[in-house]
Amino acid sequence: MRNRLRVLRAERDWSQAELAGRLSVSRQTVNAIENERYDPSLPLAFAIARVFALRIEDVFKPEAEPPPVPAAPPE
Amino acid sequence: MPSDPPARSRIDSGPFWFTISALGSLGGVWLSDSVFQRYTNPPPRGHAVVLAGLTLIFLAGLAAWKLARAGLYSWLLPLAAINLVLLRPGRSGDVGSWRLEWGVMGLAWTLAAVLVFARLLRRSDELERRLHLEGAFVGLGSGLVAAVVYALFENRLPELRAQWVAVWLLLSWWVGFLLHARLYRWRT
Repeated sequence: MRNRLRVLRAERDWSQAELAGRLSVSRQTVNAIENERYDPSLPLAFAIARVFALRIEDVFKPEAEPPPVPAAPPE
Repeated sequence: MPSDPPARSRIDSGPFWFTISALGSLGGVWLSDSVFQRYTNPPPRGHAVVLAGLTLIFLAGLAAWKLARAGLYSWLLPLAAINLVLLRPGRSGDVGSWRLEWGVMGLAWTLAAVLVFARLLRRSDELERRLHLEGAFVGLGSGLVAAVVYALFENRLPELRAQWVAVWLLLSWWVGFLLHARLYRWRT
């Protein structure tokens, strides 16, 4: 899973420790997520999106985009 | 972007408090044993040695508490292994009429340690819990393999003691934790 944590954090001038405090996790967990070593659980991913006031898909992106859904055939 | 606080200083690190606690336990038990194994009713000089031993054990407890307070829970695993060796549950046979009391005390300490560790793990965050889960899997998996290997050569090996199994599980859990911590760049 790709994420924009580092960029979003830089935009708000937050340190990893500050973000970790807002999320009630350790700084090391923020570091592991930011370096894409660890994919957070769904509740933590929602919490991350919430602290940046964004939607979850604006923070996290899948490695490969899912294939487009084929259009329904005309009747 | 503001910089993060520097990593823990050497004086406030896991290895430092672990070393203090391990040396305190080893020294304290050695000093106390040196008196109690020689005398039933220790002389005044013996009292001073026992007091020094108890002080070291108190220091060891303090260092373990510092580890827990700093959230360095993984270091409690090798510490538990060392103390399990020192506790010597098999020693109950050596102390005659105190056999039952010694056994109950060992069991009470072990139960307390397990409950405290479970409580600490509940307070840790999801990645640290995951690291412990993966570490515990390494511990159980390696214990299973070691048990089967032991069964193969049972006739040629010394009799297996439950204490060794517990120490093996604790240490391999810790090693598993450390290996996975490197994977996630988690500083211990």
